Amino acid sequence: MRIRFFAHLQDVTRCAEMSLVGGGMDADGLWRRLLEAHPGLEKYRSSVRLARNSEYVGPDARFEDADEVALIPPVSGG
Amino acid sequence: MEIEIQLVSGPISARHPSPLPAGAGAWVEFSGVVRGEENGQPIAALEYEAYAPMAEREMRKILEDLAARHPCLAARVIHRTGIVPAGEAAIYAAIAGRHRAEALAMLGEFMDRLKQDVPIWKRRALPRLEKAAAPAGGLPPAAHSAAEVRELLRQWCPPLGVERVALAEATGRVLRETVAAPEDQPPFDRSSVDGFAVRLEDGAARFRIVDEIRAGDWKPRVLQPGEAVRIATGGALPGEGLRVVMKEDALVEGDALAVRRRDGGRNIRFRGEDAAAGQALVEAGAVLSPGVAGLLASVGCSQPLVTRRPRALHVATGNEIVAPEQTPGRGQIRDSNSTLVRAFLGQWGIAPEQRRVAEEGGLHQSALEGADLVLISGGASVGRHDFTRQWLEAWGFAIQVSKTTARPGKPLIVARRGGALAFGLPGNPLAHFVCLNLYVRCALECWSGQGAGRDFQEGALAAGLAAGGEGRETFWPAHWRLTAGRAELLPLRWKSSGDLTALASANALIRVPRGARDLAAGERVEFLEC
Repeated sequence: MRIRFFAHLQDVTRCAEMSLVGGGMDADGLWRRLLEAHPGLEKYRSSVRLARNSEYVGPDARFEDADEVALIPPVSGG
Repeated sequence: MEIEIQLVSGPISARHPSPLPAGAGAWVEFSGVVRGEENGQPIAALEYEAYAPMAEREMRKILEDLAARHPCLAARVIHRTGIVPAGEAAIYAAIAGRHRAEALAMLGEFMDRLKQDVPIWKRRALPRLEKAAAPAGGLPPAAHSAAEVRELLRQWCPPLGVERVALAEATGRVLRETVAAPEDQPPFDRSSVDGFAVRLEDGAARFRIVDEIRAGDWKPRVLQPGEAVRIATGGALPGEGLRVVMKEDALVEGDALAVRRRDGGRNIRFRGEDAAAGQALVEAGAVLSPGVAGLLASVGCSQPLVTRRPRALHVATGNEIVAPEQTPGRGQIRDSNSTLVRAFLGQWGIAPEQRRVAEEGGLHQSALEGADLVLISGGASVGRHDFTRQWLEAWGFAIQVSKTTARPGKPLIVARRGGALAFGLPGNPLAHFVCLNLYVRCALECWSGQGAGRDFQEGALAAGLAAGGEGRETFWPAHWRLTAGRAELLPLRWKSSGDLTALASANALIRVPRGARDLAAGERVEFLEC
């Protein structure tokens, strides 16, 4: 699956996106994998919402390989 | 409620629609403007970033949700992204309603919810970018990072003007108008098989063939029970309420037809099945691929509106270069940069005017007339660099970037005159290749109107890379390919910037962060496809 990072999260990951393989993961599993690749994300975890295919999802969501998952830090548009 | 949502990268110029939606008694507008100060400190600009598809979707969702409580007629929201200078609008939102009360209420609530849920972020633009955004921006003295130069180019290169060209010449260009279906597609009910049209409810086993319709015929008629019309694939059905029995399911003797079997389907491609009249087929901003060109031809759009190509001038300087067909004398080398530049620009269909000029030679300013892009291949030496700089200044260009912190390309010049852009490229062929792909490509993609253009992606090293702990960010030539669904990058041998052999198989640049020493095979890196 394609993982996208925005705003200051890009300063942590030093990239705008990455790919992960492993369908059927829940949010906890996904975070475990994300933190393996980018441990620096840990301190932002509590403030970041997950979006799957451009829609916010809750903690019970499952993620498949074809999904685009975005880490959405607190927004500040307008 | 009618909803229009746009994310734009340039200034917002919004006016209320004329005419307003039927029944509207109020049009309420709000512009959110970048303040010139933050926490008491003056700022020149803010930078906005959006997760585009989701941002648009969230805004629409919020508006639809609010419309249930505030019965309004229309909404228009435009949010700007990228650098927004102080005093300019970052967002424009407007609501049309029957009365002001519901429109005002809805607009207020919309702005509140936008600031909670819509994935758009702002931050202070980097001081150097702020300077670039400021109208009276002087000469930024320090060296720029590659990312900063690319961001500046995105600001400086709005889409070029448009022209209508014949479809055959439009391939690869960027469409600048949304093309809608002028009529239903297909425009009439067509048979999808060779067979026999009969009435839908007619369950008889035997029919009399009363007519024949080939593709291109137009023969409307009312079929009676027991009648059939022979019809070819693509043929226009003679009327409504019919089905087509496949030829393979029928036996024919003279004008007598016996149906042996009926499949469940009607075997008809119905009018408007692909697209209804007025429906957008190709959106503005799409690249005219062969498939798009075919689609446009099918709806009669034979002169699409596309971005014009930039006009380019390339000047190769230096006393040591001779034409490729010549045998170099002692101390001379063949000019490979001119060929590299021509082939590079050829990817966008751009045929540059090319000049080869000796170092002390001059080039009259008239050569620059009408050029959008000026590329000067100079030497890597400080002297040659200064020479390019003096030339550009004499031609009225303002130098915006004179060096970068990246390798190769330390002595890179970027200059502007009106909408025209000039690059002074370091003379080594490898440095040329890197700077063309890293910077000139960025400008060309932004000019083309296809959006922000290609960016860095993530891949894995197929072999180790001895970066040597360079004090500067380095862009390393590599060959990339997809292996088992992931991008693998083979770093190419690179001894010096003059090394030409690496060029032949390079199709990517690996970004090696500053200070990186030895990168092992399998390590994740970012790369730019060339």
